[in-house]
This record gives sequence, C-alpha cells and structure tokens, in this order.
Amino acid sequence: MTPDTGAGPIEARRRLVVSSTFTKGSAMITRARRHRGETALGALAVLAIGLYALFIIIPVIMSAWKSLTDENPLLAHANFVGLDNYTDMIHDERLTASLTFTLVMAGAVTIVANVAGIGFAMLLNKTSLSFRTMRTVAFLPQVLSGVIVGFVWRYILAHDGILNELLIAARIIDRPITWLGSPGMAMFSVGLVCAWVLTGFTTVVHLAALQSVPVDMYQAAMVDGAGRWQRFRRITLPMVAPGTTISVTISLITMLKLYDIIAALTSGGPANATQSTALYIVKLAFTDDQFGYASAVAMLLLVLSAVIALSVTGLLRRREVDL
Amino acid sequence: MSTTTSKPRRTATPTAPVRGRNRRAVIAKGHLAAAALLTLAFVSPVYLTIVNAFKTQDQIIRNPSAPPVPPTTQNLSDALARTDKIIQIGLTNSAFTVIVSLLLVLPLGAAFSFWLTLRSARFRRIALAGFAAGLMIPPAVVLLPTIRILTFLHLDHTYAGLILANVGGGYLSFAVFVYSGFLRTVPREIVEAAAMDGAGMLRIWWTIVMPLLRPATATVAIFLSLWIWNDFMNPQFILGPLHGQTITTGLYLSLGQYTTNYAQLFGVMFLAAIIPVAGYLAMQKQFIAGLTSGATK
Amino acid sequence: MRHNRLLAAGLAAGLALIAGCSAASPDGAKDGSTTLTYLTFETPSLTASFWDTTIASAQKTVPGLTVRKLVAPTTDRDAYAKQLQASGQFPDLLQSITPSTFVKAGLLKPYDQGWIDANFLLPKGNAYKGSVYIPPTNSQIIPMVFYNKTLFAKAGITQPPKTWSEFTAACAKLKAAGITPIELGGGDPFAASMPLTGILSADVLGKNANWLQDRYAGKVKFSDANVQTAVAKYRSLAKNGYFEEGALGVKYADSITNFTSGKAAMYMMGSWFLGSVPKDHADDFGAFMTPTDDGSLVVPFAVGGSMAISAKTAAPDKATAFAQAWSLDPASHKALIEGDGAFPMLKGKTLADYNVTVTKVFEESYAYVQKDNTKVSAFGWATNDDSMPSGLNDEYYAACQALYNSDDIAGQMAKLDAAWDKATK
Repeated sequence: MTPDTGAGPIEARRRLVVSSTFTKGSAMITRARRHRGETALGALAVLAIGLYALFIIIPVIMSAWKSLTDENPLLAHANFVGLDNYTDMIHDERLTASLTFTLVMAGAVTIVANVAGIGFAMLLNKTSLSFRTMRTVAFLPQVLSGVIVGFVWRYILAHDGILNELLIAARIIDRPITWLGSPGMAMFSVGLVCAWVLTGFTTVVHLAALQSVPVDMYQAAMVDGAGRWQRFRRITLPMVAPGTTISVTISLITMLKLYDIIAALTSGGPANATQSTALYIVKLAFTDDQFGYASAVAMLLLVLSAVIALSVTGLLRRREVDL
Repeated sequence: MSTTTSKPRRTATPTAPVRGRNRRAVIAKGHLAAAALLTLAFVSPVYLTIVNAFKTQDQIIRNPSAPPVPPTTQNLSDALARTDKIIQIGLTNSAFTVIVSLLLVLPLGAAFSFWLTLRSARFRRIALAGFAAGLMIPPAVVLLPTIRILTFLHLDHTYAGLILANVGGGYLSFAVFVYSGFLRTVPREIVEAAAMDGAGMLRIWWTIVMPLLRPATATVAIFLSLWIWNDFMNPQFILGPLHGQTITTGLYLSLGQYTTNYAQLFGVMFLAAIIPVAGYLAMQKQFIAGLTSGATK
Repeated sequence: MRHNRLLAAGLAAGLALIAGCSAASPDGAKDGSTTLTYLTFETPSLTASFWDTTIASAQKTVPGLTVRKLVAPTTDRDAYAKQLQASGQFPDLLQSITPSTFVKAGLLKPYDQGWIDANFLLPKGNAYKGSVYIPPTNSQIIPMVFYNKTLFAKAGITQPPKTWSEFTAACAKLKAAGITPIELGGGDPFAASMPLTGILSADVLGKNANWLQDRYAGKVKFSDANVQTAVAKYRSLAKNGYFEEGALGVKYADSITNFTSGKAAMYMMGSWFLGSVPKDHADDFGAFMTPTDDGSLVVPFAVGGSMAISAKTAAPDKATAFAQAWSLDPASHKALIEGDGAFPMLKGKTLADYNVTVTKVFEESYAYVQKDNTKVSAFGWATNDDSMPSGLNDEYYAACQALYNSDDIAGQMAKLDAAWDKATK
C-alpha cells in the first residue's frame, strides 16, 4: 500500500487541494504574447494531454459506457441494458459488504493512523542524531511494496505465529488469537496492517509540521500558565493542521483503492469479509465474467472516492482556519 | 513522556537549579528510551524480514525473532538459483520499466507544466483540476478499459503498453502537480528576459527552466521510482506473465507457493525489498524533504 | 538549437526503447520452430520441477516445439486464464481448467474422440456437451476422509465410521481424548470447502445424481430443505469444535503438514493428498468416504488430469501433439500417481505397468475407483456437464467459510441461489 499514483508527497497534494489558489498574477506570460518555439513546447504538452486522456479520461468514459451494458469479456457481443447494473447493486449483498468494509476501513484506519502519527511525531520531535535515525526508520513501512507487507504480516499473524507466541509469553492472552481466521478478526487485522503502513507516512508528515512550530509560542503559553493539554490543543494542533489535512486526505485515498496488501494478506477472505471494493471489481471482471457490472461498481467507487476525498479535504481546510 | 508536547528545541534557562537539570536529564533519557522502544516495536516486521532471510528454516521455527547466529546465505543463493530466475528477471524488468517510465514522465510532466504557465489562469485551473482526478481515481476503476485500449493499439501485455499506461496515468498527474507547484517559485523575469533575447520557448524550457526545476525533478523521480517499482496491479493485469514478471508480481507468484518454507520465503522477500530500501536509506534526506515540503505553511 | 536536438534525440530514444521491447516479443515462429505457452499451477506436490520434467519429456516428442510454462499465482487457474485472455495472452495449453466457461466463448478446441476412445477407460468421463476438452487421463475422489490410525486407537475408536452418527461419535470421542478431530486448511477457500463438499456429495448428490443439472434447470435450489439439512451437518461439526482451532487462519500447505505430523485425527481432502502421505509411516493412515445417514457408500468422483487446447492457438497440430504426448507419457503418469495421488485411467494398464511405488492407503483408495459403486460428480470439482457456473465456486467457498462461524444457513443458501441465477442469467 505504498501510496501509488494517488498518495503523493505533500506538495502535489497541496496543489490538488488548493489548485484554486493559482492566481492570475502568477501567470508568467500572458496568453496574448506568443513566443517563438511555443509550437514545439506545445507539441510536448499536447502529447502529455493526449496520453493522460488516453489512460485516464477515455477509460473513465469507457467505464461509464460499459456500465450500461452486460459485457462479458469472453463473449463478443454486449447488449445495452440501461441502468440494470445500477439497480442490481441494490440487491447485491457482496457489494454492500465490500463497500461497508472499504468505507469502515478507510474511516477507522485514517483516524487511527493519524492519531498515532501525531503521537509518534511528538515523541520523535527532537533533532539529535538518534531521533533523526528513528524518523528515518519510521518511514520504512512506506518503502516496502504492499505484497511484501502482506506476506510478512501473514507470517506474523499466523495462528502459531510470532505475535501469538509473544502475547502468550507475556501472559497477555492464554490461547492463541486467530488473527486471520474469523471474518471479524481478519477485518481487524487488515486494519492493523494498513494503519501500520500509513503511520509511517503520517508520522513523517506531522514531524515536519511540528518542527516548524516556533519554540517561543510554547514558552509564551507556559508563561501564561497553559497546561500541557491546553498547549497541545491551542498550539500544536492548529500549527500542524496543514500537515493533518494532507495526511488525512492521502490516508483516505490510499485506503479507498486498497488492493495489494489484501491480495497478499487475506485474498479477501475469509468468507469475503476483507474483500475491498477494488478487489471485488477485479473479481467481478476476471472471475465472474461480468465486465458490465464490474464497470458499474467501478463508477460507484469513483464517485464515492471523489466525494469523500473532496468533502473531507474541504472540511479540514476550513477547520485549519478555525483552529 | 512528559516532554512530548513541549517545544522541540529546549533553550537552557540560565537560572535553572542543578536539581532541575538532573531531573531534565532523567526525563530526556526516559524520553529517548520510550521513543526507541516504540520505534523498535514499530519496525519489528522489517527487522523480522531481514534477520530471517539469513537463518535456516530450523532457526526460524525455533526462534523467529533471534538474530541470525550463525548467519547463512543459503536462502539468498537458493532464491537466486531458482530455475525460473524469478529474482534476476524481476529485478531487470522492474528496473527497465522504472527507467523508461521516468525518462518519459519527467520531460512530459515538466514541459506540460511549463507550457501551462504560459496559458491563462482560467485554462490552467481547469487543466490542473482535470489532472487532479488522476491522483484520486482508484486504479481498479480504469484497469479494464486500459487493457482494452492497449489491445486496440496492439500493445497489450507488452512493456510498451505497461510503460505507456504508467506514463499517461496517475503518475503523470503527480509529476504535473509537483512541477506546477515548483514553477510558482520561478521568477517570471528569468523567462521573459530569455524570451526578449529571442530564445525559443522550447529552448528556454530545456536550458533555463529544467535546471531550475531540479529539486522538483528529484522529488518526482524518487517517488515515481518507488511507486512504479512497487506497483502490483498494473504489472499483474496489464503486463501479465508472457514477457517475464516484474519483481512484485514475481514475488507474489513465488510466495504463493512457499507457505511453509519460511527460509525460502524470507530469502525471496529480502532480495525483492533490498533495492527500494537501500535506495531510500541512501536518499532519505531528499525523500523526507520531498515528502514534507508542503506540510508546513 | 543543440539542446533541442538533444531533447528530441532523448525522447526518440525513449520511444524507440519501448517500441523495441514490444517488437522483441518471443512468440511467433522463428526458423520453423514454434513456441507454445502452457498454463500450469503449483501445489506442494505438483512442484516446479514436476512441470519442468514432464514438459521436457513430452516436448521431445514434437520436433521444433518449445513449450513455455506459465504458472498461475494461485490454485485458481480458471480466474488466471480469464485474466490472461482479457489481456490478450490466452495460453495455447491450459492444465486442469474448467472447460465450460471457455467453451461457451469458443476458446477451446475439442480432442479427437477417436483418440480419446482408444486410450482412456472413461472416455466420456469429463465430456462437456458431448465433447472432450481435457483428456481423462486420471481420476480423483474429492474429498475422501483421511484418518490417523494411531490417533483413532488412542481415542478408543476401532473401526472407521460408516454412518454419520458413528462419524460424529468418533469426533466426540477424539475431542474428549484431547485430540483435534478434523484438520481444516480454511485459510485457502477451496480447502475450507472440503467438508461441506463431502457432505453435499454424499447427502444431496448421493440421492439425486442429477442435482447440479436440475439446479441449472431451476428444478432444485440451494435453499431446498434437503440441502439445508446437509449443510446443517457441516455447521454442527464447526459448532461442536471438531475442526482445528483457528482453522480459517490455516493455509492449505500448513494443513497438510499439520495432519501428517499427527496434530489432528482426520483430514477431508481430495485424493491428491495421497501423494503427501509420509512414506516412513504411511501405514498410520487410512481413508474412508464421507459417511451418509444410512451408511450407504457414495464416491464423489472427478475425471480429468490433463490440459485443454486453445482454439486460437497458432499451431493446433503441434499443440495437440504435445498435449497427447503429455497425457500418455509414462513419466508424467508415474509422477502424478506417486506425487499427486492420481488414479490412472489409461486403457489396458494396471498399476504395475506404471512402475510406481505406492502406499497401502493409495491402493485402498484406488479400489473405490475400480469397484462398481455409486459414483457422483464431485461437487464443484467435476469439469463435465455438472460443473458449476462461472464464479460460483468462489461463492460456494465463501459460504463454507462463512458457515464456519455463522448459523445463518438459510441466508447463505439464498445468497448462493442469487449468485447462481445471476451467473446463468
């Protein structure tokens, strides 16, 4: 779950979030003044737009179109079925389960990873070499591919695996927990692993934000007699808010497209309990031969992702001001 | 833990009594210990991957968390000696895919972003909003049509197809956003002065703007390398097995078969992870800088 | 302008690189030689070296042919074959797939019936709509109940159970003796389904051998009372704690080693487990069929064991020659019998002809195949007209996993009916 295309470093995210802040004044050269060699540059730009259209815009339009058909990848002909695929979704318990799983995971993991990230960041917020080393190390989960993350944790969470062994040795539990063996626990375990990966990211983002907080703000607050909680509430939280906005947005987007960790950790099981919507789309298309229906579910996921990402970002942006 | 919410850099208070200083030293030590313990627990899965790659199956089963004493390189040589050469082929293919994708995404993204600065603010806003979608769209949504388009272009299950899908997909959006953000800091006078001297825009872009964009290029290159290297869905579905696996799909394939042979499992995972991890450790400053450049106001 | 040219050269080089790598595709004929792709899958007993050896052996018989092995990342080769088809790389040869879905799309080429009739004991054993797409080289019983004689003795069980009540009594005795009654590799969906597959084959198909075709015709349903009663038996096994603890977290490969190392007394698995019976104490192991209420014998049976041929292959003659050679090759038969517990189905041959060393439990199990008894299509495994619709196996496996923890039998069966109706709409 290294955030692939979507979960980008902060600067890109900021642009995504605040792209409307591009002002007229920042235009280097106005449209009226044409320059030599612009055609050649324009050709490169058109190539970029063309490729983007070919692999993002047209696929989305194609998905929208196919969602109105009963296309089967194995058969040549597809029929137009109107909104049948969309009305079928209402009765699709597998879809309901998979959407619920994906949304609950996205919400829960985003909250856990960001709370943990702020806490971890405050703990590591020192500049000595040992703390910088820890910061470096804390980001490591983000560097590993989701496939490796999934397999390593499958080993750790096995019934006779190392986590159960440790917990039993520490007398925290007396019988092994079946981390991946029941629908409920498997969901919890997937959440745990995703939170682990994302915490590497949220920690580093919040650390950067924390290190920009001017020291004298705390000193002034202490002189005013502000307690630890008040300093956290009145200074730390508002000052790291821009970092939080980005960190939360990326966590959400990453969770909404969750695929590779689950493919390696649980393959969506047991009993489809951990089947993310991305996994379900792929299964519908490639195992169940339902391209049309898969496209309709894909459109639903697309709209949900856009609505959630944009509304949460907007909300957090506004809160930044209030804090 | 008492200092966790306090300021990052402690300024010595001149009148601090000695007792207080000692107390602070104890607190600082406690803080360091707590941070170190938590960090260790946090990265223990990574630790397990590393130590167990150098242990025999027996050693792993007896004590999975013990350090590899005596270490063995048998797992690594076993992984490299597989008849399907999945590690060697995977590493080569992944490197090839990453390099060619970057060679195309970087100039395209930079040229497009620079070209955008020459357009009206309104056009730029619309274009950037359109490209924002690329960062948000879950890859599963565009996967099927992408395969169809590549089939239509006779580029299905080829590296050309995989690379083009990489270049045109969300990765390009990412490059455009980083470059566009960075371009806002480039003074317009530089470009205008060059234009006055009669230099063409293409030339200005290549000789003046690109060198200025170097930090942005570093950020884009570093992150895209990591993501393309670790990408699973595109190589799995768009590329497929016909022309050899990438390291991630090869890993997925080989690990599926080794559920009880932990020594082999960790050996393969170690070899697959070592390049991105080493790359990250070598360039961690740029990594963190690129990651956090926007986290502060 | 030097820079412009440099840039242009760079971009051109980049494009040439990707064009070059697409041109360097290895398929297609070069100097009269042909390369065909062959989709296989690997299990603890069908290892990479098994495939490499048998491919090399059959390949030698077809001059100018090179066969490239593709390995499915999971045991679900149907899904992988479809995925490959979608991205334009449908293999020329496909090992042990379920032909029905692919035949409907015109993707498979049937074998010459004359050749099939001449070579195999049950030439129509896995025919789909009258044609054979996968040579019936061997057969399997899916599942059998394997048991550990030492553990049975320890719990005071002298006879393998014949009826369902004897079976549950044995489970109770084992549990009381502190022995895990049944090993279950529930972490892999197909393995999780084995107990229910055994019960459904015995109780539902045993009473109505045409049940699956009747389901296609809409005459019967999963929600029917007799199916629900059968499923309730499986549910009661789970509820009574007769399966290994944490069974849904145990991977298939681990379940094999758990059972062979004596961690559980019984193991419901396809007859391929016979290949994993430890040679050094093979006599500890025995096998019986999933018991029915009245003790009548029902053998869930499936025939197959070889590869299907793509209808789109560029070299159908060579593909067929290779497939036929592999199907009859004594080397692959020997390896399949010894390693994968396959029951050979070649005409006019006895076990001795294959020059194999097999265990006693293998011979006992093989006897079920040779004897005249009630054989039904193994539920979800048969690849003939009784195969399930596309995607239904996954739903069925998921239902088995769900019912491990949930009492909602009616709900799960309704889901299966809905999925079936959607898949066959």
